[in-house]
Amino acid sequence: MASSSTPDAARNRPTRLALGEVEEAEGILRQQLPEATGGAREGGRKGGWGTAALAAPGMLWIGFYLVAPLVIIILVSFWTWTDAGFDRSWTLANYSELFHDSAYWHNMLSTLVTSLIAVVACLILGFPVAYFLALKVQSLRLQVGLFVIALAPFWTSFLTRAIAWTFPLMGREGALNQILIKLHVISEPIQAFGFSTLSVRLAMIQLYILFMITPLFFTLAQVDRSALESSRDLGANWWGSFREVILPQTMPGIVIGSIFIFVLTMGDYGTVATVGGGNITSVGTLINSKIGAVQYPQGAASAVLLVILLMGAVWVITRFSNLREDL
Amino acid sequence: MVDQEEAHTEGAATAAPSVTHSGLDLIGLTKVFPGGTAAVADVNLHVDHGEYVVLLGPSGCGKTTTLRMIGGHEYPTEGDIVLDGQSLVDLPPHKRPTTTVFQHFALFPHRTSLQNVEFGLKMHGVGKEERRKLALEALDMVGLAGYKDRKPGALSGGQQQRVALARVLVTKPKALLLDEPLGDLDRLLQLRMRVELRNLQRELGLMFIHVTHNQEEALSMADRIVVMNEARIQQVADPLTVATKPATEIVARFMGDNNIIRGKVVEREGDRLVVEDDEHIRASVIAPNARHAVGDPAMVSVRAAAVTVDETGSAPGTLNSAECEIVFVEFLGDLVKLHLMTGGERMLAKVNAQEYPSLRGREGERIRISWKEEDGQLLDA
Amino acid sequence: MTEALVSAAEAGPRPQDVIVRREVKRRPDWAKRGLAVYFALFLFFLYIPMILMAILSFQGPTGQLTFPFRGPIGIEWWRTLWDTSLFNTIADDVSASGRQSLYLSIVAGIIVALLGFSLSMAFRRHWRFKSDAVAFYVLMLALMTPAFLVGLGNQLLWRYIGETPSLWYTALGANVVWGIPFSFLVMLAVWNRYDRHVEEAARDLGANNAKTFREVTLPLVWTGIFGSFLFGFTLTWNDFDRTILLQNGYQAQPLPILIGTWPQSRPILPNLYALGAGTTAVTLALIFMVLIAVTLKLRLKGAPVRRVEEEFGEEIGGSLDVTHAAELTKK
Repeated sequence: MASSSTPDAARNRPTRLALGEVEEAEGILRQQLPEATGGAREGGRKGGWGTAALAAPGMLWIGFYLVAPLVIIILVSFWTWTDAGFDRSWTLANYSELFHDSAYWHNMLSTLVTSLIAVVACLILGFPVAYFLALKVQSLRLQVGLFVIALAPFWTSFLTRAIAWTFPLMGREGALNQILIKLHVISEPIQAFGFSTLSVRLAMIQLYILFMITPLFFTLAQVDRSALESSRDLGANWWGSFREVILPQTMPGIVIGSIFIFVLTMGDYGTVATVGGGNITSVGTLINSKIGAVQYPQGAASAVLLVILLMGAVWVITRFSNLREDL
Repeated sequence: MVDQEEAHTEGAATAAPSVTHSGLDLIGLTKVFPGGTAAVADVNLHVDHGEYVVLLGPSGCGKTTTLRMIGGHEYPTEGDIVLDGQSLVDLPPHKRPTTTVFQHFALFPHRTSLQNVEFGLKMHGVGKEERRKLALEALDMVGLAGYKDRKPGALSGGQQQRVALARVLVTKPKALLLDEPLGDLDRLLQLRMRVELRNLQRELGLMFIHVTHNQEEALSMADRIVVMNEARIQQVADPLTVATKPATEIVARFMGDNNIIRGKVVEREGDRLVVEDDEHIRASVIAPNARHAVGDPAMVSVRAAAVTVDETGSAPGTLNSAECEIVFVEFLGDLVKLHLMTGGERMLAKVNAQEYPSLRGREGERIRISWKEEDGQLLDA
Repeated sequence: MTEALVSAAEAGPRPQDVIVRREVKRRPDWAKRGLAVYFALFLFFLYIPMILMAILSFQGPTGQLTFPFRGPIGIEWWRTLWDTSLFNTIADDVSASGRQSLYLSIVAGIIVALLGFSLSMAFRRHWRFKSDAVAFYVLMLALMTPAFLVGLGNQLLWRYIGETPSLWYTALGANVVWGIPFSFLVMLAVWNRYDRHVEEAARDLGANNAKTFREVTLPLVWTGIFGSFLFGFTLTWNDFDRTILLQNGYQAQPLPILIGTWPQSRPILPNLYALGAGTTAVTLALIFMVLIAVTLKLRLKGAPVRRVEEEFGEEIGGSLDVTHAAELTKK
């Protein structure tokens, strides 16, 4: 029987993977019918009402205590307030007042800057923390334990922490100044530390950074370790792996964290009022002062503009990642 | 696709949809999911009490959906399910005399083994003393009496499965439905549990309907195998028939280790046909019921185990023989699988392990294989 | 014939079969060390304000609102929190506010747990429901709307209706709104780990829907419900921005309001710090207690059995005893 089986002959033929058989096997196996989705409901048809009944209480509550109030704010911004109550005649006067108020825009701008700084700072400062916890700590229990320790301050009153940022830490006789003096870095206490934009920004970072660390931690923990290893295998250095593997998979976390921090800082009132001590204004304090002066419609108009800005920002940020499917 | 009547070979009960008064009947069972895909299409089957029936097929073929419909966890779009003359379709799971053993055991993690086993009895209103006694007996039967106070998290896979078995058996169902029960176990354990499970069923005399994608498991355990593919039944027969006389190409391919010669009928003499493919491999079969005429396309399937290496130097063109190149000599301990290639077609031969030393390292060489005419099976479609 | 096989097998180890032993040193992970240091610094940065506040609260009678520390160390300022006879006492305010906060928080926690749980149940059943997109956005709205605006809106709403806002009608509602998305997320995580088949098994064994829920579903998800309660409780306990616009001056202020408006109405003395440090300590203690309880519970569950040994020890000793099986299942 003629035989062409010498090793030389074998080398002359081009090597190719025998895909045919593999594909054939896959063909048999590849039947994508949806096996058993939801469990059978009793009788098999009554599903819809049960779900509605379950969702209703929560939705109604939110409807009354969130949606309705927001609607009212929008409405009020178009009305006027008299001593007798709301004058419901439609007017755009509140808005035009705001548009021509340069102080208002100045305020808005400075708040925006503070928020952006807060987002970026929280991202840069918080990322290593999340990275450490998610990827460097081996034992799961230690991970969770450290995470809880880092998260615990979030559960305490942020007012308390905000107050601590005023006199005790940043004030003229505060700890920071005292230490700097003791270390001979400065000879006189710096007045500008306390009740300043600086202290407000620092306080915001400290108070809100946990909103960035948490989503980052969760997304980092889910990064595919084997993808990391294979990228190192293929020759990428740390930065390369980071850019190719970690960053894309962490994007949802970054997006969520950024949205959180941006929205929370833009709308913040308590922190600015306390740490700023009246020197620093934000959109929140501005609205509050208008309300305090019983200028409801103007306050409402400012609030509406704020919400529009927030929605726009959220829209922009979410361009960076498709959140629905990652959640 | 093959008409169900013809798919049945000798030895199997017919599946003509008729309502008998004992046993389980699936009549025209169909399930279409929202979105239009049919998961199960017109399944007709009769199962007797005491039978061990295995639904076999690749993932997505509809076997699990069929099982879930029998158990009441899925509602059929059309068709009927009748057990001992009583239609089950409108009964919720807890009112049906069937119980299911789930793939991942579905034990209640917050309860001890004993409480798990007692659960069904508790739901049926059995008193505390009585159900504790019955549950202990059941646990004893599966050899886990000493583990009665352990929670599932503290049990190994095999032990969890035995608790799951005890839990369902203690409620005295009329039929037991098993959804890939051995899938979650380590291989060694799988092999062991096959034997134990089958013995248990024989002893109990209960109807078991078992779903799996593992061909070996089906062959080993079943009284009858129902091969399914793409929502339909391909063949219903006892294991020997399914293994040696596959009805369709799908069954032949899925069971594996079958050579399929695809060509045209070139000769026909009474019941004997000769099919020749593009490589001029000629296979002859005796097929009394075949309606093929000369020129019609046809397929012949030959089990790899029936193929031998032919050292007699036959000439090319001999019936039931082929010249191939060895692609891979696979040593499997007790046997050797010879992976061969002829022209573009792949062929497989299974030979005794004793031949390994003489075959080892001969990849690339050409050899001749042959088989006997009676080992050829004409496939429908 | 197996001799042929045996003799055909290799006589001795091939060169590549021989095992070579080598010493491998573990490289120090500099990244990990550096990050650990960073983490420690981070924790310091995070906790320092509270630590400073706590330090200042232990000053002596001449203590002031800021450094340097004026001793001697004592708990006089702490005593003013509950002792009404002292000069600088704030005990009445503290107890009134504390009670108010406590009641509000407990009720809020319960409501959040209930609403969040039922919402998550609805989502679980119809994950790709048409209106689940609407529900999703509503929840996002609840999460993202600035607290202050929620307070403002509620105040305006009440004014529009013509009523004066009471804490219990308004602040409670607004705080629950804030808590629901958190509860929802917690429940989502719990449901993800939940094995749906367990419910089917229960039904199979004779439990109807109600019994399945009570016996199987609830015990397995109660941790999520408790977590939701905790969320609702702590968020309300610490809330300032929402409540500030929703109080009417007649009722006792919740603690955060008391603390937050303090600088405007009273001199800042170390007793404020004591109050702040005290409430913080309470919350921290609560968290750590829960953490310890969870760890203990996990530890006590018992380690899973090692597969192979017990498996085969078991199999050899006692496999399924089929001889009595038939009697067991005889009707």
